[in-house]
Amino acid sequence: MMSSPLESPAPGGPESLPENVLELRSLSKYFEIGRGLFRGVVPLKAVDRVTLTVHRGETVAIVGESGCGKTTLGRTVIRLLEPTDGELLYNGKDITHLPEKAIHWLRRSAQMIPQDPYSSVNPAFPVYRILEEPLIIHRQGDADERMEAVMKALSNVKLNPPEFFANKYPHMLSGGQRQRVAIARSLMLNPEFILADEPVSMLDASVRISILRLLRSIQGNFRISFLYITHDLATAKHFSDRIGIMYAGQLVEEGPVGSVLKEALHPYTQALMRAIPDPDPANRLQMRQALPGEPPSLIAPPSGCHFHPRCPIAKAGLCDVQEPEMRELRPDHRVACHLAS
Amino acid sequence: MPVLDIRHLIYWYRTRKGPVHAVDDISFKLEPGETIALVGESGCGKTSTANAVLRLLPKNVAKYEGSVIFDGQDIMEYDDEDFRKEVRWKGISMVLQGAMNALNPTVRVGYQVAEPLVVHYDVHKDEAMQQAEEVMGKVGLAPDVMRRFPHELSGGMKQRVVAAMALILKPKVVILDEPTSALDVMTQTNIINLLKTLKTAEHLSYIFITHDLGLASELADLVGIMYAGQIVEIGPADGIFRSPRHPYTGRLLASVPRLRSEAAPEFIMGAPPDLTAPPPGCRFHLRCPVAFERCGWSAEEVVREIKALQMTEEHKALVPAMGDMEVKDPFTVILKPADSTTASNLASAFAGFTKDQREGHRFLKSIQSVQARSRTVEVKLHEGGEPPLVGGDWRASCWLVSEAKAHDVIPA
Repeated sequence: MMSSPLESPAPGGPESLPENVLELRSLSKYFEIGRGLFRGVVPLKAVDRVTLTVHRGETVAIVGESGCGKTTLGRTVIRLLEPTDGELLYNGKDITHLPEKAIHWLRRSAQMIPQDPYSSVNPAFPVYRILEEPLIIHRQGDADERMEAVMKALSNVKLNPPEFFANKYPHMLSGGQRQRVAIARSLMLNPEFILADEPVSMLDASVRISILRLLRSIQGNFRISFLYITHDLATAKHFSDRIGIMYAGQLVEEGPVGSVLKEALHPYTQALMRAIPDPDPANRLQMRQALPGEPPSLIAPPSGCHFHPRCPIAKAGLCDVQEPEMRELRPDHRVACHLAS
Repeated sequence: MPVLDIRHLIYWYRTRKGPVHAVDDISFKLEPGETIALVGESGCGKTSTANAVLRLLPKNVAKYEGSVIFDGQDIMEYDDEDFRKEVRWKGISMVLQGAMNALNPTVRVGYQVAEPLVVHYDVHKDEAMQQAEEVMGKVGLAPDVMRRFPHELSGGMKQRVVAAMALILKPKVVILDEPTSALDVMTQTNIINLLKTLKTAEHLSYIFITHDLGLASELADLVGIMYAGQIVEIGPADGIFRSPRHPYTGRLLASVPRLRSEAAPEFIMGAPPDLTAPPPGCRFHLRCPVAFERCGWSAEEVVREIKALQMTEEHKALVPAMGDMEVKDPFTVILKPADSTTASNLASAFAGFTKDQREGHRFLKSIQSVQARSRTVEVKLHEGGEPPLVGGDWRASCWLVSEAKAHDVIPA
């Protein structure tokens, strides 16, 4: 018998579940890059010793520029990639190096919402079949129960009336509706954790807010934890509980949204915030402060603090030599910078 | 004298469903050194406006008219050859969305910048390369970048090359179509700063096309808010960003997630209309939170809205039970009572429903009268219309604005 979708979080009730859904302890993912014949391989450190906890029922945003390793981090935590080093705990259980056969349950419990609503659903399937697929694969319920679950999921993502949308094909839906289908699919197996990698970056600005609101209400109603990966600091501010800033494969600052964005401690976080304009006609009267240079290569990142060549406050002899440790400078708010206080 | 004066520009193109009213009677003026930002959701006609100004038209043009007065000349009168020689790129150039990915990978970027001089203006190659180097300097690229290939450049540098290409023929107007949408935040900031510098140094006028109001405020002296192929509000940036007059502008500003404010962003209900059949009256009335009697609901829309209510679990019970609905004319709907009831019962039930629900479901405001006929109920609608774009330097097309103006108050 299957549990009806989105009602009972897991056997035993929520009380018996560990408070930390996901724990990353100095987690690393390196890729080996060939440099040509006889020249051997070098590691590309896409994720470099990241320590982070995702609590039950909260949304943690990972923000950074393209190439900072945020997508690799997401794919590693749901074990689409095997970590190179460090520890990865899911509900307190070490899953760092478990073989694929041993993490079949994780494929049910941890789901993902893809970036592109145009290519992530099978164009030959009607919506109900797209949503039924995960139940069939995980052998849940009979045909009637599955159909009931599909209808429930559709109404959970506000595709009303469900019968109307169930028989549509993806090409008949708008981008926002398709992304709702992708969200409904991620809910079919009662997940505890959802990875949302740039879930709204392909959508029109006015649709983004409605999709992010929907994710927020799903998180609240079903106590699902989200890892929200984005380049957009402003949506991270409004739609997450905690925020981590990534730079060159490393987490440089992490803490509650209110604390991090009210008092950014890392010079990179400060620079990111200065770079983003809110609508204000006074903006046109002045230059916006921007960092010099480009993010570094992940094959040969700068010595010491990876950010020091672009940092406005870097101190020679310290920042270019010694790598900063994560330090908790405010309640639950950590930063990796020698000079922050 | 304005450098660009666009009057009643119309540009439709044919599709199987009928003509798409992509640009539907747009007018604005641009003074030298001034920037107008055209802002709206995707599909509102921003990019089509740019294409219409530069006459970059597809084969399926259905209608293309109005006047575009550039530097005192109506360039709509030019034939294609004169337009290409005198206007496109030389007078008005463009930085296209994602153009940096369209650089030729096999040609050194210096020559790509110099090319229009050599090909179209018979300038000697050495001379052209020298001018290209000068322009590249203006956009902040070192002379050695001239000899590099596009794959050797970062995204920000490629976008600078594209800016140099747009400036090589010293145009007076540059159209920027989402010039930073493919770039990272930091790179975007650098490019916007560059555009600000160039604007002053070269006394350029920009038409800045973007969906991002934050970015728009970085460059815009004037703002034109576009909706469904039309400009619904246009005026000085200082006014529009601080106290928008058109309800759509207000909703658009409220939908921006802001870094420096705790106000939760709000989404705009519904989707932009199909431009093959733009809604009658004010094109925004279907999504407008303050729509009222005059906004131009049609009988067809009222039937559609009632059916939509009947389909949702939440609202189904509100709507009185009835048989078929029929559109008699653009402002009359005929309701047929269900078998179990009479026309007069349905009429009073429907009138009650209209009265109780009109604040929450604003289309009901359009209902003027509900009358029982012998076996049917006749629902008459207010005859609304398209609101004119009214005001001086700051205009908006909304009946609330025109009515407030008549009483000498402008709603904040």
